[in-house]
Amino acid sequence: MDDNLAKTFEQAAALQKLWSDSFEKMTHVWSQFSPGSPPVEEARKMRSGMLNVMAQSLDEFMRTPQFLEMMKSTMDGAMQLKGMTREGLHKMQDQFEIPHKEDLDGVLLALRHVERRLLERIEDLEGSMSVLDKRAAETNKELERIDERIGDLKSAAVPVKSSSSTTDVAPAAKGPDQPKKTTTKAAAPKGRKKPQ
Amino acid sequence: MKEDQSAVFDDMEAWQTSFMNEAFAVMKRAAALPFLPEKVERVRKGVTPREIVYEEDRLRVYRYIGEKPPRYKTPLCLTFALVNRPYIMDLKEGRSVVAHFVNGGHDTYLIDWGTPTRAERFLTTDDYVNGYMMNVVNFLRERSGEDKVNMLGYCMGGTLSTIFTALHQNLVKNLILLTTGIDYSSKEGLISVWTDPRYFDVDKFVDTMGNIPADFLQSAFLMLKPIQNLIAKPINLLENVDNEKFLEDFLYMETWLNDNIPVPGEVYREFAKYLFQQNLLTQNKMPVGRHTVDLRKITCPILNLMARNDDLVPVCQSEILNDLVSSKDKESIIWPAGHIGLAVGGKAQKDLWPRVVEWLSKRSN
Repeated sequence: MDDNLAKTFEQAAALQKLWSDSFEKMTHVWSQFSPGSPPVEEARKMRSGMLNVMAQSLDEFMRTPQFLEMMKSTMDGAMQLKGMTREGLHKMQDQFEIPHKEDLDGVLLALRHVERRLLERIEDLEGSMSVLDKRAAETNKELERIDERIGDLKSAAVPVKSSSSTTDVAPAAKGPDQPKKTTTKAAAPKGRKKPQ
Repeated sequence: MKEDQSAVFDDMEAWQTSFMNEAFAVMKRAAALPFLPEKVERVRKGVTPREIVYEEDRLRVYRYIGEKPPRYKTPLCLTFALVNRPYIMDLKEGRSVVAHFVNGGHDTYLIDWGTPTRAERFLTTDDYVNGYMMNVVNFLRERSGEDKVNMLGYCMGGTLSTIFTALHQNLVKNLILLTTGIDYSSKEGLISVWTDPRYFDVDKFVDTMGNIPADFLQSAFLMLKPIQNLIAKPINLLENVDNEKFLEDFLYMETWLNDNIPVPGEVYREFAKYLFQQNLLTQNKMPVGRHTVDLRKITCPILNLMARNDDLVPVCQSEILNDLVSSKDKESIIWPAGHIGLAVGGKAQKDLWPRVVEWLSKRSN
């Protein structure tokens, strides 16, 4: 109780300070009044000065712990009231067997959880798929390398054969392109697709 | 003596003239007042021709149609906050950010999040970033045939765009940010003060309210500058009600300012807790679903636009971003305007936005 009283006094003191500071600054604005100027313009100048002073003081006040404490207690009160109203309504709705907000929220939340689990599962599967894709790509590259080596080995073997054979393989001796042809045919890697 | 008397008479005459002039001006203003409701009805929400190209739940994506076909293939995706409606980007003729990009040859799209209902109560930042934004970006990539898109985020939309870019850098070509909150350690802005965990229990608030009502958000924005918003602004309107140009700008702006929408409760909880209270984005610790946002993963060119007189997102909350990302091509502009003036202010429209369009054009395909 004492704490509450002390807080109330602190808040009242902060408010009082806000107004006294504002009035002090406003006197500076009022002191700039010059009766020689057109009164409407002067009034506008005064008004603008006063509003600026008030805006500045309020900005400072809204940063004080006293204001924040007031804001907190007001919001707590509002939420408590909303909670009590809702509780009363729930009792009535329960009596009439009408679904209330929390029932609907519960259904929505359950749906969200299911959706979340599904999405996470899909995300996991996507991750696994990309790992598999990477591995498949690596395996494919490895297979291609093996194919090339087989081809190279075969082409290297062809001239040995051709030296012993007669006219059939004579083109092998014609130039460097010929063994490559043989390699391509022998490797036949066309049917293998890179994973997407 | 005679000189004194004549000086007094001169003063009195000046006073009399001033009062008479003011009386006539007041009568003129009073005569203009009955036409005010009619003018309010004439306010349009968005001016550049557009078509809906994508829809998902309440979200819509608009494509803006220029007089000539776009010159750049990379699509530009504009993302606005979840708090207000996005037509501020295309407010009226001569005050449209969208029009600058469309006339500059960019294929321009805008995400309209729609108005959340209780069904969206449990949507999280993850749903918005890795769900909706991801789907929109994939749609735009498919539609344009480009691997990447350009992104422009405004206010909270800028924070969402930054998070998206950090999580999916491979999909973003260039990032433009307007008044984007990143570092919440400073208490310069009043919202940062009010969301102090000692005075604001965000969990209790969200659990009680569900979606955060538009009225609550509107009141909070008004209270940032209560004297200007509740006293000076109505006086200013009354004094200029007979000025057509002023009145048109005022009505367009006020229509938008008062067109708040509720924010999904969970997104509000995450923004208040992770950003305003714990400042996790700058520490590269902000969780978004199962991911953690690491700003160092951003490598694309960045243009960071800030408003010097911004009372909602002060410069100190935005300018740190350029130091936190790994991008080599990064630029900041601090413009002498307010939070909204940066987008629709006369000077920004004339000088800033052509510069921004040029910056993007140099970096687009």
